Amino acid sequence: MTALIELVNITKRFGDRTVLNNVTLQVQEGEILALLGPNGSGKSTLLKLMAFLLHPDTGEIRFQNVPVTVKNSERMRLQSTLVFQKTLVLNTNVFNNVAYGLKARKIPKTQIAEVVKKALKLVKLEGFEKRPARKLSGGEQQRVAIARALVLKTKLLLLDEPTANLDPKNAGILEEVIATANREMKTAIVMATHNMFQAKTLPTRIALINDGSITEVGAPAEIFSKLSKNLASFAAVGNTFRGTARATSEGTTIVDVGNDVQVEVTGQRQGEVAVFVNPQDIILSKSALESSARNVFRGRITEISDLGSLVKLKVDVGKAFTVQITKRSFNEMELNLNAEVYIAFKASSVQVL
Amino acid sequence: MKAWKTILIVAVIATIVVIAGTFAYFNSLPIPELRISSTTSLWDTGLLTEIKNQYEATHRVDIAILHQGTGLALASAAAGDADIVLVHAPTSELPFLTNSTLVCRKIVAWNYFTIIGPNSDPANINGKNATEALKSIAAYGRSQPSGANVWISRNDASGTFTKEQNLWKAAGFNWTTTSKESWYASTGQGMGATLVITDQKNAYTLSDLGTYLQFSRSGSVSSSQIALIQGSDYQLLNVYSVYAVNPQKISNVSYNEAITFIKWLISDAGQQVISNYGTANYSQNLFSGAVQPLKTGSPQPDVQWIQQYAFFNGTECPTQYQDDHPELYP
Amino acid sequence: MNQILDGIVKAFQLIFSGDPTVYGAVYRSLLFSGVATILAVLWSIPIAMQLTLKDFHGKSIVKGFFTAMIGMPTVALGLILFLIFSRAGPLGFLGLLYTPAAIMLGEAILITPLIVSIAVSSIEAVDPEMMNLAKTLGANDSQTSVTILKEGLNGILFSNVAGFNRAIAELGVALMVGGNIVSAGAHSTDVLTTDISTLTAQGDFATAIALAVILLLIVFGINLIVFLARNPRVLIMLGRTPQ
Repeated sequence: MTALIELVNITKRFGDRTVLNNVTLQVQEGEILALLGPNGSGKSTLLKLMAFLLHPDTGEIRFQNVPVTVKNSERMRLQSTLVFQKTLVLNTNVFNNVAYGLKARKIPKTQIAEVVKKALKLVKLEGFEKRPARKLSGGEQQRVAIARALVLKTKLLLLDEPTANLDPKNAGILEEVIATANREMKTAIVMATHNMFQAKTLPTRIALINDGSITEVGAPAEIFSKLSKNLASFAAVGNTFRGTARATSEGTTIVDVGNDVQVEVTGQRQGEVAVFVNPQDIILSKSALESSARNVFRGRITEISDLGSLVKLKVDVGKAFTVQITKRSFNEMELNLNAEVYIAFKASSVQVL
Repeated sequence: MKAWKTILIVAVIATIVVIAGTFAYFNSLPIPELRISSTTSLWDTGLLTEIKNQYEATHRVDIAILHQGTGLALASAAAGDADIVLVHAPTSELPFLTNSTLVCRKIVAWNYFTIIGPNSDPANINGKNATEALKSIAAYGRSQPSGANVWISRNDASGTFTKEQNLWKAAGFNWTTTSKESWYASTGQGMGATLVITDQKNAYTLSDLGTYLQFSRSGSVSSSQIALIQGSDYQLLNVYSVYAVNPQKISNVSYNEAITFIKWLISDAGQQVISNYGTANYSQNLFSGAVQPLKTGSPQPDVQWIQQYAFFNGTECPTQYQDDHPELYP
Repeated sequence: MNQILDGIVKAFQLIFSGDPTVYGAVYRSLLFSGVATILAVLWSIPIAMQLTLKDFHGKSIVKGFFTAMIGMPTVALGLILFLIFSRAGPLGFLGLLYTPAAIMLGEAILITPLIVSIAVSSIEAVDPEMMNLAKTLGANDSQTSVTILKEGLNGILFSNVAGFNRAIAELGVALMVGGNIVSAGAHSTDVLTTDISTLTAQGDFATAIALAVILLLIVFGINLIVFLARNPRVLIMLGRTPQ
């Protein structure tokens, strides 16, 4: 089966910085491929190349076996669309945003109205047609962006960290939409993410990317077993730690991840493992809680990021954990940098790889 | 093609259309345009507008008056931007006649300049003739503390200014050095503006009678400024001449219409417009028509003075510049 | 002081009596400056797009040139154009001097740097990824350009109004290349600004003040309309004030 899109020996440089180094990758029709890697690994650049927004310095890109050149990329872009990491909406209403690509393709008006309506229903924004897009919340805007891409029914859909800045509700809607799109329209999807949880459930294949090179490509199970051995390079991916596991007599396992941090997980494991905790599963408190959570650590807030209705914090308990709480909680707790806090999570929340 | 490139091409085409359109429009207009370049003082008195209205009542022409001052008026003729020149500086005019830019000169009017000043007359010029008055003004100015403006000059290449310069020379002054003394100020502007400034500074200036009367009547110049030296004085003689621009030297001028206009201006009808102007409002005429007097030789000594001051080589217009229109010079 | 007050009184009399001199001047000011603005906008938008969306050698010099030319003294430009349009000058064969077309063209040239500079700022203020967004949604080059323009539309409209203001309020160009010809009919080239100047020199303060008042009303009026168009909330607020 010929690949939908093929990248052969691609190198891309910006100035004297080599962002992608000799990358070879294939995407099959109808599959979901996750691009997993830390920030700065070249994910966005790779996606832009696959959207034909950029051209490689060396190497070749073939789409449906046709080489992509500067001359034909305008035409090729009709078959591949990219949803940016930083949401961008046009300064007009929701309808015009979603209809933009259809108008560019000169689809008749009556058809457009119907298609847009269906798309808005899919992303759960029915009735939002006349609302000014810039006045929506971040999550709603990202859903508009997805709807805008989906209506084009391109063969290839590229998503750059689609849920990175979304609250759980919006993230969930988005993941559902992505799955539906792939299932019903057989759209091939390439998703860049550094959220390992997402990478485990959605894709058919995972490609690991780091420092401009693709290190592994394969089915999720295969990748994750290999991942635990390669985790050093993935240290920057949030809440992922490598450690030594020791089974306990109570049927659980203690994993020593270094710096005096011991994580308790369910199940019995032994030897070198990697553990991952979803930021949303971590509870933050100002004083030690008495709870059923097996994992409680004391630390200091080292980083605060404002995501609108959510706040992302980095808490250093010996190892740095990423925690996500609502803005309201953040304000009520009166937190700031360097504040002493406690984090807690259940043993069952920990993923062992 | 890129959107903006299309727009740019549309813009260039639009510009060409606008220019071509106005060009075609003006050429197809049933009423042709006749351009007269003249002085600011003639315009300020209102005589030019009166002449225009009277002429247009009986002739199918649209007169456009460029009231720019004698200097620019003559330059416009040389550039071909005007069809007729009507000015009052014979010494400045002559070169344009001799280099064939202008032809068919007719002297059409005269009056006398006046020296305007405060009614308290601190320089004591009342009763003197023009050159004596200037000497008194200079003496007074030099006796004043530095920075007090006593004399206001137009200093703008106009006919009035040319006359002023000649008066200073006749009075024995070196104008170049005298004009730099602190009591001598220049405005570079038209007659009306200069009168207003003179009034504000309670100073003296040279003006044509018409503009002064007009401004005095409208209140733009206060009643404390009066015409101290006026009336017949050879030194203050002011002669207006009209010319057509020579079509053989300057292309695209409306020569025939210009000749028709000159013929009207020197006819009884035109001369009456000139001579009657202002009598209703000022109970004196501001200008005197020159055609009849030059023919009959009266009144004197005015006619003799005109010939002395404004004739070239003993004649109004030497034959070689009469350009095929001897009927203008019976 | 009396004179000024008398002038203002006569001004309103002239305005409300529909005096033809006054209204002729108003008509010509609006017409000439209006056409000048349209011409200038047509050239300036493509120039602004070229300066923002393309890269070429000396781009910053060109941008700097336009910014510097914003403050071009109107008389200086008027003089240059006078020499060019005069029959003795290089474009003399067009017969443009002392015609309305000369004023329209001259003012259009005057306001071009202003419109270009503001338009460039507006387009540069558009998110740089906007172009990529348009392209990835399938827009071709000209569709992309139009989209960027639409995103910068607010600023571009503002530049047009600013240009019109400068055109209708300037004196130097209109006086030099128009000649302030007062005539019944199509040859007239006097506009509000040139009339104010000449009438004052002639001492007719009352009419001069009348024209000045009208000119100010026009300029303020246009700016008020534009302000309300961009801030419709103000209108709504005014509508809601209790009676």
